[in-house]
Amino acid sequence: MANNGTGMIQSGVFESLQRKIDEDTAVKDALRDIVQELEKQDRVTQAILSRSHSTATADLPSVLSAAQTNIEKEVVTIQRLSEVASKHPYYKFNYAWTRHVQDACFSILFCGWLGGFGKGDTGQLLNMEEVGSIMGVPVNVKDRDTFHLTIEEYLLALISLADELARLARNSVTLGDHRRPLQISQFIKDVHAGFQILNLKNDTLRKRSDGLKYKSREVEDVVYDLSLRGLLPKD
Amino acid sequence: MEGKEQDGSGQRSSPFMPMFETFRSELDEHHDRRERIIKASRDITASSKKIIFTLQRIRALKQPLPQHAIKSNKQYHDTIKTQYASVSRDLQGLNAHRYNRQITGGCQEWMEAASFQHYLETATLIAYDDARKLLRGLDAEGPGVDLSAEDYVLGIYDMTGELMRFAITAMATSGELPKIPATSAMDGEEMDVDATSAAQQRSVLTDMRELRSALEGLDAGVGPFAKDADKKMEVMKQSVEKVEKALYGLIVRGAERPKGWMPDMDGARAVEVEG
Repeated sequence: MANNGTGMIQSGVFESLQRKIDEDTAVKDALRDIVQELEKQDRVTQAILSRSHSTATADLPSVLSAAQTNIEKEVVTIQRLSEVASKHPYYKFNYAWTRHVQDACFSILFCGWLGGFGKGDTGQLLNMEEVGSIMGVPVNVKDRDTFHLTIEEYLLALISLADELARLARNSVTLGDHRRPLQISQFIKDVHAGFQILNLKNDTLRKRSDGLKYKSREVEDVVYDLSLRGLLPKD
Repeated sequence: MEGKEQDGSGQRSSPFMPMFETFRSELDEHHDRRERIIKASRDITASSKKIIFTLQRIRALKQPLPQHAIKSNKQYHDTIKTQYASVSRDLQGLNAHRYNRQITGGCQEWMEAASFQHYLETATLIAYDDARKLLRGLDAEGPGVDLSAEDYVLGIYDMTGELMRFAITAMATSGELPKIPATSAMDGEEMDVDATSAAQQRSVLTDMRELRSALEGLDAGVGPFAKDADKKMEVMKQSVEKVEKALYGLIVRGAERPKGWMPDMDGARAVEVEG
């Protein structure tokens, strides 16, 4: 088909579009490499943390220090991610990393709950600012376009923590620790109560937070089993 | 048991309440913004569709829009302006891309209408930068909404469907494919639908083919945009083919065609002819 030069499309229109798309593709590729690294590192952290299900409280410190060492590696990667991502509009590419930042946030929350990050005792929740400072990134940024930890990411990680703790409640009993299920039960109830004041839309957060009541029930059942047999600690 | 927890001491004693109260107000703000944008996008889409509807009644190509079209579309352009102005502040800075999923429908439909109108007036494809300026101008007093390259391309894909409708209607009513006069005036020339001249003469169909080839050549990469573009690619190809089939029918049976006869679009006839 002859294109006599006075066609419909001015020259350069699609060429410059292609350049734009290619630039975005290059950014996505760079981000993907970093995110894959983070994913790999977090898998190791979670493998370490899952040893807590079979570790007596007294021996937890060694698990926690191993986990923390690995989380430090994750933080380096998150820093790198933050540096690259901050050069571009945050929400344009955040789908590329949000899952993995969430996972890293969960690792930090779980490690902190078990007494890591200087918490000493089990049962404490690192708030969003604390997680942000461990990651070395700002949180809930509203006034500038830069990399940060979002409320949604923190809340989804918190739900993952509740799920993990429900499992830990049963395994604590197996390890002979009859105090921890009570602590977990109260913790999940407190988290659940918090989620109930949020006006959630029909999104991921809503769907996942709906599961909290079942987790709460699961742990209550463990506590009930213990009380029925007079196994709960007296104080 | 659960009721007790919900309204009883469980909620009041949770040490996380202050934290969740902050989250609540942040999330409410986000959801309100989101709702506003969804509503604006819907209104922009509806008005753009109505603009296209009016434009499809126009028969002239490469001519200024007739007064009646300008007049009847004014209210829709006004609605679009108002809607864009109402959300432009919600779509700045950090939030420029945050609500992309919510606003993209409106932007694509607007792009479809704007590029179709531009084509009717000039017989050219509006360039991305010009389209961007046009959208920016809709909120002249505010910060404006930025047209993404993605929305531009997706809107152009949809515009090929309008070109198809325009071409088919023109063939049905005037018995010929809308041609585009070359730079020199050829208006008075006899219009015969002859296979050789059809191949040389620029027409809506040659333009659609040019557009198809450009869109096919565009590498959308990976990600959500590539997926959307893939879907629209199929529809766009079908649009081009529909016009090609109609033109074929016109050339083969054109002479016998009674006035007002509509090209058969369901494809059944084409099979019959081949067999």
